[in-house]
Amino acid sequence: MVKHLIPNTLNEALEALSKHPYQIIGGGTDAMIQYRNHSDLSPRFKAHVMYIMNLKALQGISSNDAAIIIQSMTPLETLNSHALVPPLLRKVILEMASPALRYVATLAGNIVNASPAGDALVPLYLWDTEVVLQSHQNSRKIRLSECITGPKKTGIRADELLTQIIIPKHDESGHYYQKVGGRRADAIAKISFAGTYKINNNTLTDIRMAFGAVSATIVRQRDIENMIIGLNINDLSTKIEQLQAAYAPYIQPIDDQRSNRVYRKQVALNLIADFINHIIKEASRP
Amino acid sequence: MHKDISQSIHKLDAHARMQGKAQYVGDIDIKGMLHAITLRSPIAKGIIKAIHYPPLPSGYTIIDYRDIPGKNFVKMIFEDWKIFAEDTVEHIGEPIALIVGEDKRVLYDIHDKIICDIQPLEPLFSYQKSVIDYQFTKGNPDPVFKQAKKIIKETYETGYQEQAYIEPQGFIGYPETAEKVTLIGSVQCLYYVKNAVVSALDTHPDNVRVIQAAVGGAFGGKEEYPSLIACQLAIAIRKTQKPIKLIFEREEDMSVTTKRHPSKTTMEAAIDADNNIVGIRAKVALDGGAYIGLSGVVLSRALIAVTNAYTIKHLAVSGDVFKTNTVPNGAFRGFGAPQMIFAIEMFMHHLAKQLNQDPYSFRMQYLAKQGDQTSTSGLFRDPIIMPKMIQKATEMAQFHDKVKAYKTMPNRGIGMSYFLHGCGFTGSGESTHINAQVKLRKDDHDHVYILVAAVDMGQGAKTTLIKIVSHTLEIPIEQVHFDYPDTDDVPDSGPTVASRTAMIVGGLVNQAALEMKSLWQSKTPLEVIKRYKQPEWIVWDEKTFQGDAYPAYSWGVNIVEVEVSPITYQVNIIGIWSVYDVGKALDETIVLGQADGGTAQGVAYGYLEVMVHEQGQLKQKNMTDYIIPTAVDMAPTQTHLYDNPFALGPYGAKGAGELTLVGGAPAVAMAIEMAIKKPIKKIPATPEYIMELMHDDDH
Ligand SMILES: Cc1cc2nc3c(=O)[nH]c(=O)nc-3n(C[C@H](O)[C@H](O)[C@H](O)COP(=O)(O)OP(=O)(O)OC[C@H]3O[C@@H](n4cnc5c(N)ncnc54)[C@H](O)[C@@H]3O)c2cc1C
Repeated sequence: MVKHLIPNTLNEALEALSKHPYQIIGGGTDAMIQYRNHSDLSPRFKAHVMYIMNLKALQGISSNDAAIIIQSMTPLETLNSHALVPPLLRKVILEMASPALRYVATLAGNIVNASPAGDALVPLYLWDTEVVLQSHQNSRKIRLSECITGPKKTGIRADELLTQIIIPKHDESGHYYQKVGGRRADAIAKISFAGTYKINNNTLTDIRMAFGAVSATIVRQRDIENMIIGLNINDLSTKIEQLQAAYAPYIQPIDDQRSNRVYRKQVALNLIADFINHIIKEASRP
Repeated sequence: MHKDISQSIHKLDAHARMQGKAQYVGDIDIKGMLHAITLRSPIAKGIIKAIHYPPLPSGYTIIDYRDIPGKNFVKMIFEDWKIFAEDTVEHIGEPIALIVGEDKRVLYDIHDKIICDIQPLEPLFSYQKSVIDYQFTKGNPDPVFKQAKKIIKETYETGYQEQAYIEPQGFIGYPETAEKVTLIGSVQCLYYVKNAVVSALDTHPDNVRVIQAAVGGAFGGKEEYPSLIACQLAIAIRKTQKPIKLIFEREEDMSVTTKRHPSKTTMEAAIDADNNIVGIRAKVALDGGAYIGLSGVVLSRALIAVTNAYTIKHLAVSGDVFKTNTVPNGAFRGFGAPQMIFAIEMFMHHLAKQLNQDPYSFRMQYLAKQGDQTSTSGLFRDPIIMPKMIQKATEMAQFHDKVKAYKTMPNRGIGMSYFLHGCGFTGSGESTHINAQVKLRKDDHDHVYILVAAVDMGQGAKTTLIKIVSHTLEIPIEQVHFDYPDTDDVPDSGPTVASRTAMIVGGLVNQAALEMKSLWQSKTPLEVIKRYKQPEWIVWDEKTFQGDAYPAYSWGVNIVEVEVSPITYQVNIIGIWSVYDVGKALDETIVLGQADGGTAQGVAYGYLEVMVHEQGQLKQKNMTDYIIPTAVDMAPTQTHLYDNPFALGPYGAKGAGELTLVGGAPAVAMAIEMAIKKPIKKIPATPEYIMELMHDDDH
């Protein structure tokens, strides 16, 4: 028999986890589908199940000098309307699933599900986001990009919960986001792209780019970003082809029921160009 | 009481549906009920060597072809579609057996232990094996093509489309007596189901009763397919003598039920020295899937639509249904017309361009006029008001200004389609195949009951039929009733298909109401029966495709405006404008509802909805992967209706259900074509296809 546990406190949850492995359910919008069964039958869970959506300790958004801290079970819809949440992340969330889903779905669920097409991962990678993994006795903080190790794979141990998402404060002049789905709402991304940039006195002082659904995990390459950091805005347009060539080896999409690799690759390259052109256009505004 | 019938009232089934009170098959439970699940072929083609069943717990039963009292086929047109696979399997998902019992967990456990020993054979997926071929001519095409100055040829392709009704297929049934089986189902055609089950059980018609449950959408998907599972279930009920429910899950439904036929159409035009089209040759190929089912009828309706809303003097038209080892394709709103109308509309547009003519004026020249000969050499008897409709549509959309502007503005396009739709069954089908009968019954409280087999699947039949009776008898709406039909109670008024319900069934109901009015005596029960009588002027030769293919035509114009992203190649629909002639709207809101839904489904067929198979396995099997438009994807629609009453329709009404779908695809495809400046010859015009076109410099 599958045992179902609804802990009342985070401590109770972590203590239970220290004794037994549990299938964690947050909003359940990925897990319930993954373990779905034929109609009228209960889900095909392979382990005992723990529901953590109601834990008060895992709800809320706060900030300090350095970062914005999102408690892991805060629903996406709450993030969507919260002033502390970076506008780019809100833009991304607004294009995730449908309103009904967003009232239960969480950022932690999107992270731990570790889909190459997970929408929220794309901006989170841009910001070098960290996650806090807590067990009964311990707590560790690691980079999100280290936490996710492959498609549907993370380095989270069976006795750990993801409790916090820490987004370093980030100074930007602007950002850019494109989710390319099969339709304009409620679609899984065929490819997605987010970028931010910072301009000082016509010099590009920072630029970041991340790609979703083009590889086993989100693609972000600081070395390629560095190629153009420090350049004068007027020189950017000459660098587009070079950037595209640099990213090309990292963009290794697949053929599936939603799209094909040729399209995904071409669009990814187009988005790089569009992002750079966007920066140039924005920078030339009075 | 004397108000215009078009004036809308509240849709009479809306409250029950919104409040969750409507009883769908899934909502109905019967004490002691068993469940049935289906064992299916895992491969596309093979010879069944043996099916090894595990020992069954008591109360669990397997039903397969050996249990069929009658012949092993679903009675439709040909004796080809098997109720259960027997010696061979012809497509992935073909039903082999039902597993029946009380606990679904046990059923799936048994299912997973069954070993199918099937010897695989090489499946066929290309257009090679013709199982039906039709051809006809109009005028004298051969000499015209011989003397032509120029012959222009193009080929057009269309893909699958899934009906995507909200409620999957399902039935619940029970033994009424040892002999008699009652089935309650989500169906469009009660008597199709009844006749198929009578044949499968090899029993007297009195021993089969079919009742309609609330139907959560159908779009043609519940025309012939329900007959298959009704036969299976009836056989199981007869054998077990227990109530049983058989209801599909979404993924099962999408993987195994009928789709719109993929097609490939080659069009050739004979052009004279003055750049006029003097003749057209068309050759249509439909992918029928593993069994013919209704594919022949779909083909014939496609062929008849060859010149759409135009008149062309000389025609040579032919087509085939090809058998492939894929899910059988079948009925879908539009029934062959969407494929053909896409081909002819794009062809007319492409001809104009290749002849260096303005597409708008070029196409206008060929528009059909009252008194012209139809594609099958019948007569367009009734007034055709297309010029007025086109004028209105172009004004609403500012079409001409936009065409001019988008010649130089990149990534924007606007497209316009003209179309007609034949209402009712083809030719003499209404009298030879259907012979509809309707009944009106008045009780001693002067309440009137409409007894017909028509199904309200959301399209509004309940409301419009009640309105007709209420208006004609001049009694309040509340005094007229139309309950879910039951074959023990209602005569066979024919299937709920072919845009025939308002015009044909509604027409008969109106005649019955008129007769009832003349015999009306308050507080006295009365019954009136009316039978369909074919107008004498309809002459149709089914073999040669000559004569009047339909008693009447509805007409339409769609304009679609798009923006195509040069970065992502995605299409954004900016606006949709439509003008329709449906004779007379029996309820304006209901027709506008059909218009919005129909154009959404038709436009999406043209650019959005993708379904493909790989080695016979459909790749999109749920609503996440099979993309249909959301409200965000649709643009604001503006629709105008013109009255053009048809003498034989109730209050002048013609068909409206399919018309609104058939023109969407060419309109959006033409708009995309204008935006990317490359010809579109295939739908859906997905971003992946648009990218190929934009990067291909040969065109
Ligand atoms: C109709 C529909 C549309 C969707 N559209 C999108 C979309 O547009 N974009 C997109 O990216 N996703 C989409 N999704 C997927 C899903 O909604 C998101 O990934 C969502 O963020 C998951 O959050 P959740 O809380 O529901 O996760 P859950 O299903 O609860 O959990 C997902 C996984 O994370 C684990 N987990 C959850 N919380 C924790 C924790 N605190 N510690 C450790 N492990 C944990 C669970 O064990 C599970 O393995 C869609 C899903 C559906 C059903």
